[in-house]
Amino acid sequence: MNVLIVEDEKSLASEIAAFLEKEHYLVEMAHTGMEASEKIAVNLYDFILLDLGLPDYDGLDLLREAREINHEAAFIIITARGEVSEKVKGLDLGADDYIAKPFSLLELNSRMAAIARRKFGQRTSHINFGQFSLDPLSRKVMCHEREVDLTKKQFDLLHYLLLNKNRALTRMQLYEHIWGNMLGDEYDSNFIDVHIKNLRKKLAEYAPVEWLETVRGVGYRANID
Amino acid sequence: MKLRYKLALYNLLTKLLFVAVFLLLMPYFLERINTIQTDNELINKREQVMDIIAEYGVEGLIADSANNAFGSYNILKQEYISLEKAETDSLWNFIEIAQRMVDEEVINYRVLNYSFMVDGETYLLEIGTSLDNIYKTERNIRTITLILLGLFVIISFIADTTLSRVLTQPLEFITRKLKETKSPSLYNRQPVKTSTTDFAYLDQTLLELMQKIDELFTKEKEITANISHELLTPVSVVQSRLENLINDGGLSEPHAEKVSESLRTLHRLKGIINSLLLIARVENRQFIKNEQFSLEELLREVIEEIEPIASDKGLQIQALFECDHNMTRANRSLLFTLFFNIINNAVKFSGTEAKGSVEVHCFSENDQFKIRISDQGPGMTEEQVAEVFQRFKKRKSPDGHGLGLAIVKSIADFHEISIQLSSKLGFGTTFLLSFPKEM
Repeated sequence: MNVLIVEDEKSLASEIAAFLEKEHYLVEMAHTGMEASEKIAVNLYDFILLDLGLPDYDGLDLLREAREINHEAAFIIITARGEVSEKVKGLDLGADDYIAKPFSLLELNSRMAAIARRKFGQRTSHINFGQFSLDPLSRKVMCHEREVDLTKKQFDLLHYLLLNKNRALTRMQLYEHIWGNMLGDEYDSNFIDVHIKNLRKKLAEYAPVEWLETVRGVGYRANID
Repeated sequence: MKLRYKLALYNLLTKLLFVAVFLLLMPYFLERINTIQTDNELINKREQVMDIIAEYGVEGLIADSANNAFGSYNILKQEYISLEKAETDSLWNFIEIAQRMVDEEVINYRVLNYSFMVDGETYLLEIGTSLDNIYKTERNIRTITLILLGLFVIISFIADTTLSRVLTQPLEFITRKLKETKSPSLYNRQPVKTSTTDFAYLDQTLLELMQKIDELFTKEKEITANISHELLTPVSVVQSRLENLINDGGLSEPHAEKVSESLRTLHRLKGIINSLLLIARVENRQFIKNEQFSLEELLREVIEEIEPIASDKGLQIQALFECDHNMTRANRSLLFTLFFNIINNAVKFSGTEAKGSVEVHCFSENDQFKIRISDQGPGMTEEQVAEVFQRFKKRKSPDGHGLGLAIVKSIADFHEISIQLSSKLGFGTTFLLSFPKEM
């Protein structure tokens, strides 16, 4: 899928680009509003990541313009955190999601995956792991026809680990995904450990969970073939 | 005591003192005045009598009488004149108070005694005025004076209080404005209507001060917000770079750990920036308070969120909802953060050795909805309690950055919720939240 990153901070744009390329996206970058406007006029994109704080262009104008030409694209607004009114306006103008700086690339990845599933009808069928399978739409985890009863937090945690399978996720990345930025960032590493512990306990009642690995000094990883 | 009442009281007291002194001295002066006047009258009468004697001779006056004396009383015995021969050589000329028997009635008289010589004979003239008469006059004067004084006190008191009320009205207005002001930005800018320059000056100066303070506050908040805001992008760059480093998978385990540690540090930095931004936004009232929800529901959600952590520590969160309270103009996610931070703190500081429980108690007191959140943790010293809501004054804890309770305070202020904090070393800490009645 084609992605356009509109971000005036070049180093941030290139980090995002490097990450998305690894995720098999085709990535282009624009560092000014003008550049972005030109690119949008010529090419068709599936995703446009748009930083609202551009030096030469009102981000919301660019969004309006881009949606007219390229109304198939999914728009994710990137902005400095918490500019509530801008967020609301952006979503009103048809942006699909909103992500606040500083964000985790993995979070961006999972948001894009969610949009792809929703918008482009990409059938991410059940994710199979160990002897389990997870259905993202019905939000159910099954083990040999038996449903595993998970809390909302446990499900989200598991889903996020599976989306980023075979990749070590730090506790902060998990924490941010589950709780967002709402709690005033009174980050407590305990939270994730406790939830993982409970998740393991619950899953272990049905089948072995050795695929859910604790990565020393980093966090957790779901090892799945 | 209000200035107005002080002025009125002072006025009343000085007047009463004046009246008292006057009442004390009045009898003496009245008597003096009366005596002098009576004496003058007596002397006048003596002159008249002497004129008559000079014209008609003394013989003519006393000739007819048997005992060589003349006496005349008026009918009501208020006055008398007597003239008789005296067997004395000394000359009398004095005024005294003396008793006279008239028709078997003893009457006090002011009596003028005067002796004079006519043809080698000494005569004694007595002219008297009844003292009763004098006292009566005196009493009348005193009554009238008393009534006048009473009227004077009452009227002047009313006039004074009215005047001082009118005069101090601008001051009361200024005081009211100050009392109503919860923060400098909310100071009532309506100028006071007064012709008293002192008050106008006071009002103007206060207004300028408030504006100055407000300006400084705003500037400080803006600076915090701007710095925090400007830090977001660079932090984002570093975070992305470090995440890419880990994701590339080419790192040895120790290097991956180092990068992960850096990410953790970065996360702390993010936490500080975001918390400062949150506080600045709340203080600048950039959040909308337009949601309606039940506090009980919200609290249950928060407790559900923290429950796993608590039970992992062997702690219990006991919730007791005596009554519920519906918020009508509030921001739900901000209040979620507020309760989350308080209850999470309580759990965090309750220690790992399963010490007691955390209690959340909702109740109503004096028509006011209150929530008490208490733990049985190590508690705090008085100095710690005093600065616990200040930024970066954190209690010993491995995580966190000392902004959690500063956030709590700003959200509480934003919703006009008052927080009382009490703590005893070794016995735990209690937060008492009182909600405004009208919400």
